[in-house]
Amino acid sequence: MASGGGGTESGEPEFQIAPMIDVLLVLLIFFMSITTAEILKIDQNIVLPVSPNAKKRDPEMTKHEIAINIAWDVAASKAHVKVDDHVYDNLADLVPRFTDRRTKDDKLRAVIRADRLLPAIEVQRVLNTVAESGISDVSFAASNK
Amino acid sequence: MAKRNRHKQSAEVNLGFQIAPMVDVVFVIMLFFMVLAGSVKVENAHNTKLPGTEEAATATSMPDEIAIRIEDDGQVYLNEDPLDTTDVTSEQGKLLPELAGNLSQLRQSSEASKAEVLVTIYANEQAKYERVVDVLDALSRARISNVTFQAVAPE
Repeated sequence: MASGGGGTESGEPEFQIAPMIDVLLVLLIFFMSITTAEILKIDQNIVLPVSPNAKKRDPEMTKHEIAINIAWDVAASKAHVKVDDHVYDNLADLVPRFTDRRTKDDKLRAVIRADRLLPAIEVQRVLNTVAESGISDVSFAASNK
Repeated sequence: MAKRNRHKQSAEVNLGFQIAPMVDVVFVIMLFFMVLAGSVKVENAHNTKLPGTEEAATATSMPDEIAIRIEDDGQVYLNEDPLDTTDVTSEQGKLLPELAGNLSQLRQSSEASKAEVLVTIYANEQAKYERVVDVLDALSRARISNVTFQAVAPE
């Protein structure tokens, strides 16, 4: 299909615009794919429950959202709460962090991304922490399939 | 001098934008996205408001409260009445059709009497989060958005 090479018959190098555009397109796709993950730090290892009727997330609220990832370790029967790539063993440590964010952003929304096998009590503990921080807007993440 | 002329000639031959490699790459990218599109999982959400102590400017009318209890085995109770099966693996068990139907009727009757519906979910400690989301999904189908959570199930 495409002809390769980057020089003349005499072997002298020359500037080719096509490979340059190829590389730029790849870089563009790379940055497009990491942009959303940068705004909302999500844990890709969590298996979300399926909910076909869940609403599509409002793009305007994306900058007001904070993701709370709750992974469930089946072997150890323990929940791991992760916010912004930091694991919190003690949920009380999250209160000042959330309160600080809440004072800076009135529209702050907590997005709970919990593993489908997680016991409800763990979600309720996180909800208590969220409520203590003064955040009332909560959303539960679910997969479409 | 001869070298310079040769260079000039080659530059003249290769000048201009090459469309063929560009089309190649666009096709490859298109194929990649076409294959990827089938397996893309979209992350959606159920939005709720936690009960708080915000001051209201006007008097608030008390809504009709509906309690949904979720047991450890996945059994769902609507105001103490067991509904649907506990089989969370089957499609029918996940959809909770009886619960969604009852909730839809309750919403319609509340709307007819100009009242608001408030649903409180009481999930047992060991109930799976997946089952809670199943209930939220049924509420979404019944078009009830006023949902809140209770930390401890009532005795």
